[in-house]
Amino acid sequence: MSEPVNSTPAEVPVQAHLRLSVIVPFYNESENIARMYQAILGAVEPLGVPFEMVFVDDGSKDDTLEIATRLARTDPRLRVIKFRRNFGQTPAMAAGIEHARGEILITMDGDLQNDPADVVQFLNKMDEGYDLVVGWRFNRQDKMISRKIPSRIANRLIGRVTGVPIQDNGCSLKAYRASVIKNIPLYSEMHRFIPAMASIAGPRIAEIKVRHHARQFGTSKYGLSRIYKVLLDLLVIKTVASFTTRPLLWFAMLSMPLFLGGLVAFVYLLLAALLSSEGMSVPIAGTGVIFLAGALIMFSSGAVAEIVYKTGDIRERDFARLTSRVRTCRS
Amino acid sequence: MTPDHEHLSVSCNVDLSAIVPISIRHVDIKALHAQYRDALASISRSYEIIYVVDGAFADVIAGLDELLRAGEKLTAVYLTRTFGESTALMAGFEQTTGAVIVTLPAYYQIEPADISKLVTALGSADMAVACRWPRVGGPAERLRRWAFHGLVRWMTGLSLHDLGCSARAMKRQILEEISLYGDQHRLLPALADRQGFRVQEIQVRQSPQDRYSEGYRTREYAHRLLDVFAVFFLVRFTKKPLRFFGMVGASTLCIGTALVLYLVVARLFFGESLANRPALLLSSLLVVLGLQLFALGLLGELIIFTHARGLKDYQVDRVIEFHAAEHETA
Repeated sequence: MSEPVNSTPAEVPVQAHLRLSVIVPFYNESENIARMYQAILGAVEPLGVPFEMVFVDDGSKDDTLEIATRLARTDPRLRVIKFRRNFGQTPAMAAGIEHARGEILITMDGDLQNDPADVVQFLNKMDEGYDLVVGWRFNRQDKMISRKIPSRIANRLIGRVTGVPIQDNGCSLKAYRASVIKNIPLYSEMHRFIPAMASIAGPRIAEIKVRHHARQFGTSKYGLSRIYKVLLDLLVIKTVASFTTRPLLWFAMLSMPLFLGGLVAFVYLLLAALLSSEGMSVPIAGTGVIFLAGALIMFSSGAVAEIVYKTGDIRERDFARLTSRVRTCRS
Repeated sequence: MTPDHEHLSVSCNVDLSAIVPISIRHVDIKALHAQYRDALASISRSYEIIYVVDGAFADVIAGLDELLRAGEKLTAVYLTRTFGESTALMAGFEQTTGAVIVTLPAYYQIEPADISKLVTALGSADMAVACRWPRVGGPAERLRRWAFHGLVRWMTGLSLHDLGCSARAMKRQILEEISLYGDQHRLLPALADRQGFRVQEIQVRQSPQDRYSEGYRTREYAHRLLDVFAVFFLVRFTKKPLRFFGMVGASTLCIGTALVLYLVVARLFFGESLANRPALLLSSLLVVLGLQLFALGLLGELIIFTHARGLKDYQVDRVIEFHAAEHETA
């Protein structure tokens, strides 16, 4: 079974009896992985729910994989997904989510900064009927300047733009209903936008406070991505979240200022021609033409976007079906 | 069957499959076949040779017919017209059964005896790329080569020195995962590296008959530059088109806006008329262009988002689990 695998989500069905999957990505965490394993067991075993663990080795260069393999050889509840090389945190989470078989998926960091003991809180919250429960590291143990302040600004901004007011988007400790998250595309560096991304599907989202420990072993692997990346990603989320169903409308709105600019230029030309006898101003006429042409091309892009949406395999109605609950009375 | 390919023995009939795409540039096929056959036979693994005739080349077809009549073990694939080397490679790949794929040029580039070096290198790598060394060539050609490979290194982060040499050995999985089109065959190492495969460059001797010294024409170089750009874009920005278009668009927009502001200030406070300034044209052009580029990037993002189910950001090497361990010890 050590053949290379390329499984699609369809091949990894949600097993009805498996209640919980704990997903942990690891990248060069040889000091932490065994401790993490013990901590998860210690937290989840007493709950008495059928569970599994999915460890994702994100191309570690130390002996993280060897330790994980040894653990997996002795414990049928643990599976280890080995990446061909380092791909990053979001892909690691996405792979874990894809290969998980439980009904409820809980993700957390592999560096012991999240506390597996919080899992029980998440399960309780999910039982209340939420589809996505997000952790909030309310007393975060990290450096102030390089991590906490930028993250606070980013979270404020993300909440403002996406309309999903979450205190702490960067916290890896989250619980998902498998049927919902498996249908939400996770790519690029979207991990800090998972709640916003998920909100496209319209789930019931809750946030709970979680413990956060200072890093004991190893060093922080995932630094702050550069600001412009976050800003652009935010713009993408906003775009896909609010306009996927009506791309033409959105591009039409974008082309509006250009159209107006062109219009103003031509009105000016017309007035100038009527009121004075100096002849037409070439730069103004040219500007008008450029703006109108720009508006036209932008509008055409909207038409292309419409085709893209039509041929794509992600539709809003799928999301509606995923998160809706139906109650009927037949008699 | 060698032990290290045992697990693939069910699906593969031979160890090595050599693909030779034949296009307009080729040498006498019978002499070439004799060389390649002897070289592959000396590796002492089972092998097959597949020729893909990329176009209607009467001499090649006649030569292959003659070889087939003489009972030579080879497979010939005839394409109806010239589709290009990438397509020819993929057409040849469909016919292969080997666990290791070797691609070879239809002309003399490397010393055939060195093919074994490439195959041996697959022990520690997933793809072995030949690099002709020592190599003949004037200073102008050397400079051109250096510039081209420098550009490739800068754009893809992969240090290779002879992308023009099409002698390569790779594990079957590479071509199963990467579907080549256009002129991407040259940059296959960069694409494979992107997928997480280990790519290694192997120095081989240049064939004494490798006399294509007139170099490439300008048009060909333009094509190759476009290829590099396409691969660069695929490698870096497939999943995040806005990173690229957003950057270019935003800078264009910024320059345009600054220029517009300058013009407006000049108009309002210094009374310089807008109506007869060509700079107005330039600034509005920049603004519109910037917005367009941005919109293109967003369109790209929309494509990625709506088709994201088929895309994957990662490649799983293997899954390790409990019952797998039982199988291995048994």
